[in-house]
Amino acid sequence: MKIDRRCFLSLVIGGAVGTTLTPVPWKLTDDIAIWTQNWPWTPEPEEGPSVYKKSVCTLCNGGCGINVRTVRGKAKKIEGQADYPVNRGSLCPMGISATQDLYGPARIKSPMKRAGKRGEGKWEKISWEEAISTVSKKLAELRSREKPHTVACISESDRGTVAYLIDRFLKAYGSPNFIRTPSFQDSQELALYLTQGQQGTIGYDLENSDYILSFGCALLDGRGNAGRMFSAYAGFDKKVKLVQIEPRLSDTASRANTWIPARCGTEGALALGLAHVIVREKLYNKDFVENFSFGFQDWTDEAGKLHKGFSSLVKEYPPEKVAEITGIAGSKIESLARGFAGARRPVAVSGGFGQGSLDETLAINALNALVGNINRPGGIAAVSEPDYLSWSEMKIDKTASNGRKKPRADEAGSSRFPNTGHLLYRLPEVINSSSGDSPIQALLVAGGDPLYTMPDSDAARKAFDKIGFIASFSTYMDETARHADILLPNHQFLERYEDVPTPAGVPKRIIGLTRPVVRQQYDTLHIGDAFIRIAHNLGGFIENALPWKNYEEFLKKTLSNQWKTLEKQGYWVDPEFVIPSWDEAFHTPSGKYEFYPTERNNPSGKDADALPGFKTSGIPGDPEQMPLILIPYESIRIAGGAVGNPPFMTKTVDANVIKDEDVFVELNPKTAKEYGFSEGDTAILKTPAGRAKVRVHLFEGIMPGLAALPEGLGRKAFSDYIAGKGVNINSLLPEVAERGSGLNRCRATRASLTRA
Amino acid sequence: MTTPAIPEGVKRCSTGKFALWLAVVGAVLLWGVYAMFLVWYKGLNQTGMNDAYGFALWIWADLTVIALGGGAFFSGFLTYIIGKKELKSIINYAVIIGFICYSSALLILALDIGQPLRGWFIFWHANVHSMLTEVAFCLSVYFAVLTIEFLPIVLENPKLDRIPFLHHLSHNLHEVMAVFAATGVFLSFFHQGSLGGVAGVLYGRPFAFREGLLIWPWTFFLFTWSAAAVGPCFTVLITRITEKVTGKKLVKQATFRLLAKISGWMLLTYMIAKIIDTWYWAAVTAPAKGFTLMDFYTNNPVYGIWILIAELVICGLLPAVILVTRKGRENNLLLMTGVILAVIGVCINRWVMVLQVMAAPLLPFQDWYMYMPTWQEIATTILPIAYGIILIMLAYRYLPVFPQEKELNSGS
Amino acid sequence: MTKQEQHTRTKRYGMVIDLDRCTGCGACMVACYAENNVPFKKNESDKMLSLNWIRVFKVDNGKPFPDTEICYIPKPCMQCDGRHMEGHSPCVSVCPAVATDYDYPTGIVSQIYTRCFGCRYCMAACPYHARKFNWWDPSWPAEMEKYLNPDVSVRMRGVVEKCSFCYHRYQKARDKAYLEGRDEIYEHEYQPACVEACPTGAMTFGDLLNPEHEVYKLSRSKKAFRLLEKLHTNPKVYYLSSKSWVRRKADNYLEGQSPGQQNNARKTETASH
Ligand SMILES: Nc1nc2c(c(=O)[nH]1)N[C@@H]1C(S)=C(S)[C@H](COP(=O)(O)OP(=O)(O)OC[C@H]3O[C@@H](n4cnc5c(=O)[nH]c(N)nc54)[C@H](O)[C@@H]3O)O[C@@H]1N2
Ligand SMILES: Nc1nc2c(c(=O)[nH]1)N[C@H]1C(S)=C(S)[C@@H](COP(=O)(O)OP(=O)(O)OC[C@H]3O[C@@H](n4cnc5c(=O)[nH]c(N)nc54)[C@H](O)[C@@H]3O)O[C@H]1N2
Ligand code: SF4
Ligand code: SF4
Ligand code: SF4
Ligand code: SF4
Ligand code: SF4
Ligand SMILES: [Mo]
Repeated sequence: MKIDRRCFLSLVIGGAVGTTLTPVPWKLTDDIAIWTQNWPWTPEPEEGPSVYKKSVCTLCNGGCGINVRTVRGKAKKIEGQADYPVNRGSLCPMGISATQDLYGPARIKSPMKRAGKRGEGKWEKISWEEAISTVSKKLAELRSREKPHTVACISESDRGTVAYLIDRFLKAYGSPNFIRTPSFQDSQELALYLTQGQQGTIGYDLENSDYILSFGCALLDGRGNAGRMFSAYAGFDKKVKLVQIEPRLSDTASRANTWIPARCGTEGALALGLAHVIVREKLYNKDFVENFSFGFQDWTDEAGKLHKGFSSLVKEYPPEKVAEITGIAGSKIESLARGFAGARRPVAVSGGFGQGSLDETLAINALNALVGNINRPGGIAAVSEPDYLSWSEMKIDKTASNGRKKPRADEAGSSRFPNTGHLLYRLPEVINSSSGDSPIQALLVAGGDPLYTMPDSDAARKAFDKIGFIASFSTYMDETARHADILLPNHQFLERYEDVPTPAGVPKRIIGLTRPVVRQQYDTLHIGDAFIRIAHNLGGFIENALPWKNYEEFLKKTLSNQWKTLEKQGYWVDPEFVIPSWDEAFHTPSGKYEFYPTERNNPSGKDADALPGFKTSGIPGDPEQMPLILIPYESIRIAGGAVGNPPFMTKTVDANVIKDEDVFVELNPKTAKEYGFSEGDTAILKTPAGRAKVRVHLFEGIMPGLAALPEGLGRKAFSDYIAGKGVNINSLLPEVAERGSGLNRCRATRASLTRA
Repeated sequence: MTTPAIPEGVKRCSTGKFALWLAVVGAVLLWGVYAMFLVWYKGLNQTGMNDAYGFALWIWADLTVIALGGGAFFSGFLTYIIGKKELKSIINYAVIIGFICYSSALLILALDIGQPLRGWFIFWHANVHSMLTEVAFCLSVYFAVLTIEFLPIVLENPKLDRIPFLHHLSHNLHEVMAVFAATGVFLSFFHQGSLGGVAGVLYGRPFAFREGLLIWPWTFFLFTWSAAAVGPCFTVLITRITEKVTGKKLVKQATFRLLAKISGWMLLTYMIAKIIDTWYWAAVTAPAKGFTLMDFYTNNPVYGIWILIAELVICGLLPAVILVTRKGRENNLLLMTGVILAVIGVCINRWVMVLQVMAAPLLPFQDWYMYMPTWQEIATTILPIAYGIILIMLAYRYLPVFPQEKELNSGS
Repeated sequence: MTKQEQHTRTKRYGMVIDLDRCTGCGACMVACYAENNVPFKKNESDKMLSLNWIRVFKVDNGKPFPDTEICYIPKPCMQCDGRHMEGHSPCVSVCPAVATDYDYPTGIVSQIYTRCFGCRYCMAACPYHARKFNWWDPSWPAEMEKYLNPDVSVRMRGVVEKCSFCYHRYQKARDKAYLEGRDEIYEHEYQPACVEACPTGAMTFGDLLNPEHEVYKLSRSKKAFRLLEKLHTNPKVYYLSSKSWVRRKADNYLEGQSPGQQNNARKTETASH
């Protein structure tokens, strides 16, 4: 017994000592450590040579030139294209993150049809044949019932071949309802038409200006063409002055030389106050005003009626009065006016903060006219439609021509809003107020994410529910796609061809080429091909109108003159584009720049309604019950609009903007104290359009009495990396249409903040 | 009642009662073990640590148990090297407590590293300039020494002692114990010191950074000194608790008083050094790095100047004064107050040297970092306590830990 | 100095960030994520659990409306040279396993993920919070693994990572120069991803010792300063600002000491090395 135990113990101890002397445990330890360095679930990217491919980003309307690094056919990194004439190498974080969109979980991987209730998220995979024929059948059926005008198509752009193709399709089909999603372009195009008599967009030559007076444009926070704006800013030398007018210290305001925190919605009055000083002190460009403008002085029409001119209008806006409206001291207004008028190449930029009212846009535009910087370096210029998109006239049948004669469903171009091109935001009201059948029976969503971006989400949702058939062509599972009946996913932009004409605001004529830098990842179809195939299915004149084999063939044909350059260089700059001189520039009835826009839709006929006078801001809501004013703000680190934030961008957002699922509403510490809130408190935010749970963030840089929420949050769709975070600001904003133009006048609303 | 496994001549509770208590403490232990596996399996995301708090509760627990385990090396030093025979009656227990503390420390370290399977890189790719390398080496070697010191006590278990091989082994080990004790003292001096150095060398962290002697910052010496001072207090405390729980006298009062006296003087000298160090740091070191003393104690919800006062005065000078005065030592209540305050003092010291270091902002635009441990961290920090209690229960029951027990309890 | 000498000389790569120009857009952060395979989680709002090799901080001057000003401070790893300008970076000297090291030819502080065993001592040592820990296993949803950059290895759970000044780009540039028989790497050949992506040109990168590189001049400008200058960590990331409140927000100095004095002190120190 004893011996055994002793033996046993010696064996154990001896064995233990012995084993440690052999290489076995050491080898094992080493192996285990090596294993931790090569865990099979830690990905190992495949090596290979880098191939750079040029393309153009279409994630927003900025149209930046990109250079995509690929390795073995996989897109690795998006970099700026240094020589691209729009952004010159600069990109915004959204463009850099595009590889995450390409390979990300929000992609729709094949055509699908709805399997459950609308919006339930149940889908059934179908073939492209079935998808195309389902849409075709629906459209054919409506035509057979002589109702082609009950079809509408929403697109984020009305420029470029894809938009033209869709527009042409609708024409041949017989629908007048090609609807572009709203943006600041709407008011700018209208203002350009009324003052200069030209269709097109306003180009701002910011790169060559030395005094930029921005009326709330989120220039460095992501407005319009972020990439281009950054590169312009990078080029500013010390002599360039940037003045930012806005009630919140945004990134743009923080980089500006001067920040003018004017009260919300009073920009128009401020512009008129500046004009007052410029006129009073005769600081305006006499040559331009006297020889090339109309309606500056009072004037008499053919009927002998005396009309008030712009100079009389601005007499009503002396600095003291404007100071009262805007909260900006009179002396400041005077010095601002002198600074602006005294600069060599000043430019006033409108179009911050939403679509912008026509009044405000005209008032701001008038500043540019006063200093005569129209069609001058560093000023503004009208950029007309690109002219490469003209095809043979097409024949249409009777059904189509009858359909096209019907009024548009969004009332754009109607007698109420004769000059306005697109009024998507009217749609919910029109649909919801119609008795009987919905005026829209089939909706093709070819761009944008209207169910997310439209104001007053409840009303929009209700209207969409009345539409019998919704097809979405979206690449990603966005909110509108989730609510559709059938999905026909477009390629992601890194997989497809597309032309990108001059982005809004750029005073040049450019075509950029978006092209496949990687092979198509999923069972998707180019939206152009989808429309061509639907047209072929419908047959007849519609098929004849879109006679191309596929989109690529059509694109190459359309761009045959530029194609070589585009293939090689990635972009084409129109060498013939010249900015006309003053005597050739204006196509208004007077042939001059019209300070008094005679073509303006003015049912009252009063001068006051034609001239861009300041109307007290129509911020909706009862000030008694809703003492605060809520404004949205654009954050460069959060994608607004139709594009869902990729995980990379969400990662850059600070903890006092989003914390877990909550978004923070910015309040001035004074305001917070008044209502008894401190940093991080949860609260209920109520507006006339809705309510939401938020947290409070104190920020000295926001005007007391205001509350601000970022754009781009509160998504219900896309991926788990953005859905469910924060609040959709659009759902809290009631729609406020401007009389005469129908444009969304105001993106601010009254609000109250109470304890949760 | 006496079974052959229990040392001769002492009384122990019934097996049932023992098992019941074992089960209770064992349940806590299992909870800790569960948390431990969670941490190993799922990773350090199971803790409340973050990029500001790279070091947190565990490192504090580590530094603290090592400081408290300092009773082993210092009692060993006094017993075997200085030759304080009176301490022979407590040295066994001091060694056991030390063994528990150090094995716990190693376990916590194994939990605390992000890649436990690569833990041995610290030896294999050792960077001799790193205080942590020094800690790792000395700690492991000293733990081996402690194991060797613990072994003869285990072998004295009557059942084991009957095996001639073990009997001889035990006998021989006793003979050479002084050598191991001396080695232990030497190693301890270094690892206690290098633990102090861990924080003290961080020249980017003005709250922790101290100038020093050669390669060693003052915290190196202060840590060793404080461990030597407070370790014995902890031994006294645990022994007294054991006496309370078992309802027996285990060690003579005189032994306690002797240890307390030595501790008291150590603590007093330590406090003088510590106060000079603090003053120099506040007046010279920190300002040279752009910080004033109050930068470290304001604008945050936890770390007020109270913590400095608590550490230096209430749990520093006060217990030192109690323990160095005869009256203080002879009054049982005062003695225990002094001992407990001293133990708390060293806990606070290690806390601020780990957690306040992490909490204090450096860049002017940053704020204080606050930290909340998760239950997994708390459970794994309690785990060693449960393990310690079980080991003590077993040792007390089966090993002749207290040579004076029979004598002191002969009356009952 | 002859041209030859200049070519073979040790380099000290550094960055200059113009805070007057930075708009806080975050492109640098995103470019770094994409270049360096930095993973992401569903909830990134706890910034102390968010892997960011460069983070852009928003600071304000503390004044009430409307005198408020804000400034953005992008903060990568400072690539500290250490107290005596000889690679004694706060983080390097403490690492027990030599998993982070100072590269003498470039001055870049490296991080060896496969050697790091996650003790996080280096994080405790770094005053700039430049070091980040992989608390979780990285994972990429859907097919996002496809975009991972093969030049940078993907890290595993339990190790520390940090900005490397895109060292892999340096290696590529060096290899290319070698193949072409050059000793010298041209300034434009080695630029980190963040600098390249910065859309406003706020960031500049190059060899701080090479008078032909832009950073040479910029880092010596009157407006230049570094974060926590007085810690003597000797960062190789410089900042430019014309505003004294920004300087005050970014560096710590006691009442009575002006930033200028510190600047001078630093210059003498730099000159003596
Ligand atoms: N009154 C008012 N309301 C507003 C605003 C406003 O200014 N005024 N603005 C809000 C804001 S900030 C915005 S941005 C929105 C406007 O938002 P929308 O008009 O809905 O969207 P866009 O900004 O035009 O979005 C770019 C378009 O590009 C498309 N796109 C880009 N890449 C791809 C791709 O790969 N595949 C597919 N299928 N499509 C692609 C997107 O689908 C989207 O339609 O409205 C919001 N609501
Ligand atoms: N990265 C990125 N860039 C984008 C987009 C994106 O999604 N991501 N989207 C693009 C699109 S679709 C759009 S519409 C643009 C948006 O660009 P903008 O229309 O220029 O931006 P907003 O944020 O709507 O408004 C600009 C600023 O107006 C201020 N503001 C609020 N109320 C008022 C007021 O009453 N008066 C004045 N003057 N200012 C006020 C707010 O502080 C806000 O910062 O950005 C484009 N660029
Ligand atoms: S500004 Fe628009 S086009 Fe340019 S990179 Fe950003 S998302 Fe793309
Ligand atoms: S910033 Fe931090 S991580 Fe970078 S070198 Fe300096 S101490 Fe090391
Ligand atoms: S965490 Fe890694 S790099 Fe940092 S000190 Fe520990 S082993 Fe070194
Ligand atoms: S230098 Fe490279 S690694 Fe460092 S922050 Fe910039 S992109 Fe990231
Ligand atoms: S990319 Fe440039 S401008 Fe944008 S945050 Fe970074 S440093 Fe600033
Ligand atoms: Mo937007």
